[in-house]
Amino acid sequence: MTKKINDEILQSVEKPSRYTGNEWNSVVKNPDEVDIRFAFCFPDSYEIGMSHLGMKILYHLLNERKDTYCERVFAPWVDMEQKMRDNGIPLFALETQDPIKDFDFLGFTLQYEMSYTNIVNMLDLADVPIYSAMRKESDPIVCAGGPCAYNPEPLAEIADFFMMGEGEDIINEVMDVYTKCKKVKDTKEAFLKKIVNIEGIYVPAFYEVQYNSDGTIKAFNPKSPEYPSKIRKRIIKELDKTFFPEKIIVPFTGIVHDRIMLEIFRGCTRGCRFCQAGFVYRPVRERSPEKLSELANKLVQNTGYEEISLTSLSTSDYTGLAELTDNLISTMEPQKVNLSLPSLRIDSFSLDLMEKAQKVRKGGLTFAPEAGTQRLRDVINKGVTEEDLLNSVSTAFNGGWSGVKLYFMLGLPTETLEDVEGIAALGNKVVDAYMRTPKDKRGKGLNITISTSSFSPKAFTPFQWEPQDTIGKLREKQKALKAKLNSRYITYNWHDSELSLLEAAFARGDRRIGKVLVRAWEKGCKFDSWGEHFKYDKWLEAFKECGLDPAFYSNRKRSYEEIFPWDHIDVGVSKKYLMNENQKAYRAELTPNCRVNCEGCGAAVFEGGICVE
Amino acid sequence: MLSSIRVRYLRGDKVKYISHLDLMKTFERAIRRAHIPIAYSQGFNPHTLMVFGLPLSVGVTSEAEYADFQLNVNISPEEFSEALNKQLPSGLQILEAKVLTSRENIMKIIALASYEVVLKLPDRDEGIDIQSEIDAFINSTEIITQKEGKAGIKNIDIRPMIKACETVIADEWNVSLRLLLSAGSEANLKPELFVSTLNDKSELCAKITGIHRTGLYVIRNEKMLRPIDEEIVMST
Repeated sequence: MTKKINDEILQSVEKPSRYTGNEWNSVVKNPDEVDIRFAFCFPDSYEIGMSHLGMKILYHLLNERKDTYCERVFAPWVDMEQKMRDNGIPLFALETQDPIKDFDFLGFTLQYEMSYTNIVNMLDLADVPIYSAMRKESDPIVCAGGPCAYNPEPLAEIADFFMMGEGEDIINEVMDVYTKCKKVKDTKEAFLKKIVNIEGIYVPAFYEVQYNSDGTIKAFNPKSPEYPSKIRKRIIKELDKTFFPEKIIVPFTGIVHDRIMLEIFRGCTRGCRFCQAGFVYRPVRERSPEKLSELANKLVQNTGYEEISLTSLSTSDYTGLAELTDNLISTMEPQKVNLSLPSLRIDSFSLDLMEKAQKVRKGGLTFAPEAGTQRLRDVINKGVTEEDLLNSVSTAFNGGWSGVKLYFMLGLPTETLEDVEGIAALGNKVVDAYMRTPKDKRGKGLNITISTSSFSPKAFTPFQWEPQDTIGKLREKQKALKAKLNSRYITYNWHDSELSLLEAAFARGDRRIGKVLVRAWEKGCKFDSWGEHFKYDKWLEAFKECGLDPAFYSNRKRSYEEIFPWDHIDVGVSKKYLMNENQKAYRAELTPNCRVNCEGCGAAVFEGGICVE
Repeated sequence: MLSSIRVRYLRGDKVKYISHLDLMKTFERAIRRAHIPIAYSQGFNPHTLMVFGLPLSVGVTSEAEYADFQLNVNISPEEFSEALNKQLPSGLQILEAKVLTSRENIMKIIALASYEVVLKLPDRDEGIDIQSEIDAFINSTEIITQKEGKAGIKNIDIRPMIKACETVIADEWNVSLRLLLSAGSEANLKPELFVSTLNDKSELCAKITGIHRTGLYVIRNEKMLRPIDEEIVMST
């Protein structure tokens, strides 16, 4: 009988309600009455994981199946983990508190590269061998999906299979095959062979890699002609017709995004050259305002949440925005449910819209110019002008707002110190705009936050050939910017460049970097994105001991001829298109958005969404 | 005239680890699901008009939790509890509901609380007479202990805050204490402090395995009453 956590342990840890479940709308089933037990594992704390929309969708979708019970697992906090290890309690699922090593599937969602050590740690805590080759028939099957899965190679020796793209259909197809396999007592290998030809499935063990002497990839091939040489991601063509939960779990304790999230569309037409999501989620597919209003009402009824947000990559591009927001305001306001709108593009900003959105409760406003000069903004294809930004903030200040956040990146390709200083100039111009706003209109207490992150080139973007700035260079730029930000109204926050170096290494990592991951974990690395737990020196040791250099992955410029570790994945957008965009970037040439003109990126191969409209 | 409803609710095992603030949020959301016409405050950040009596420590269960809810439209207390009970997560339940007649803030009027505290005594306490240790403790004229307040740690005498203590001995290692202690904004003695002080002043090394609040009381005309009705419970 496996040990479970008890009151004594719960009393001794921080936020015990992270581990006790029982939340409204959490699913309770009898595990003996199902064929498949699926543990949805989010490799971070409860508060972070519970904010993730993908898990909400897949959890409720899987639980619609009578033959499946999907439960949630989050990374236990360090204090609870210590208690579990001290008491011999293996990692358990929230709903039943049962150990997940007895489940059929452990499904990890890959949201962020620096969560990978938590995956390794959770497997170890669960008593499940880390490497897939070491697992026995009795061990669960480990699978993964999500945005980072588009470059699956760093986890190729850990996951048994990956699901590329949107999970709604593919996960059901995989479960259908599995129930049949379980009935006839197929081996894991037989099961994997049966799913390998489902579109979107990647089984890393069925492929082999050869390297050149300089460390780049020489060849990447399936071990047998029966396995696909290229794996195309899955998309849901008609979002209105696909599953979206009408009930979501309402947590007891505060989580990062504690509200209803209404996914209004997938994909993005803008083509900002640094943005992986904008390319991998193409083509754009929208939900209709009617469907969304219907979902909103059902979700409010079933959860009692006080806030609802519209999520997408670029909310102001949603064609039905006016209709939807009018609809939602009229139904939500009487129920005292606030509508929040993150992710607005600066150039489509309108006071009317923001007024509506913040009618019930007023918050701060966020904009992402990303670069400090027009030249650099054109390089990254963020077609936003200084005039746009200043008009937007002026409109906001006139409407009574006084808190503004501005996001930028440091280290973008072709960036000079002049571009960096341009950020400060913009900040100061925003202060001026506030000062020019009549006193009776503007809100009290101006505070502008400028936040810079370090650019990390990602797979499937026009910048996938680019080097990341070295830590030294990034620090130099942060310092230069800080020196120019003298206004007492401006607060400057910057992201740690050491963490960014590692993020960039894994974002474009190959299979070999997987060994570094495990070594780093062995040295105690986990919860890397939590400042207090990040052990940079241990990571560097791990790289060294594995004979690899993070600079090879992060700071190296690639040639157009190089074979990338993710070239066997097909996201629709072609490598040729990305190469062309890369060249245009160097000429600071803009590419208009898909709605204006089709540029032939390749996403039309899916014959769905905006490409066919 | 718009009324308020006072309820007594259960905080069971499944929800005992929720913090007080999170508990209030849980109620707020359940109320919204139940379509209960609760009143909201005015202004920029409207919130539901409800008051919860005396927060409980995390890990403690209770069958005597009280809360007041101000309504926007009058509904009967039965309607209120029935609708709300359907939306409360397992472990939370409205046990009683009444229309509130007084305007007194429930947080201010509470004076006493009764608890059942389950203790486990380690083997080391074998041979010690548990009853006499406890008797000696509560029969002292004063019991000085250290309590952490906003201004720092200070010495206080907790004896006057112990109104009653009944010991139920299950066996040499398991004991239940039925305590009646001062509670509320004027004087508040937590059962955990009672037990730690007991351990300090006696030969006992008791470990708390469970605390359950059995009652909250107000004092009116020298009589102890439950906040939910005028029924006389017992005289002090």
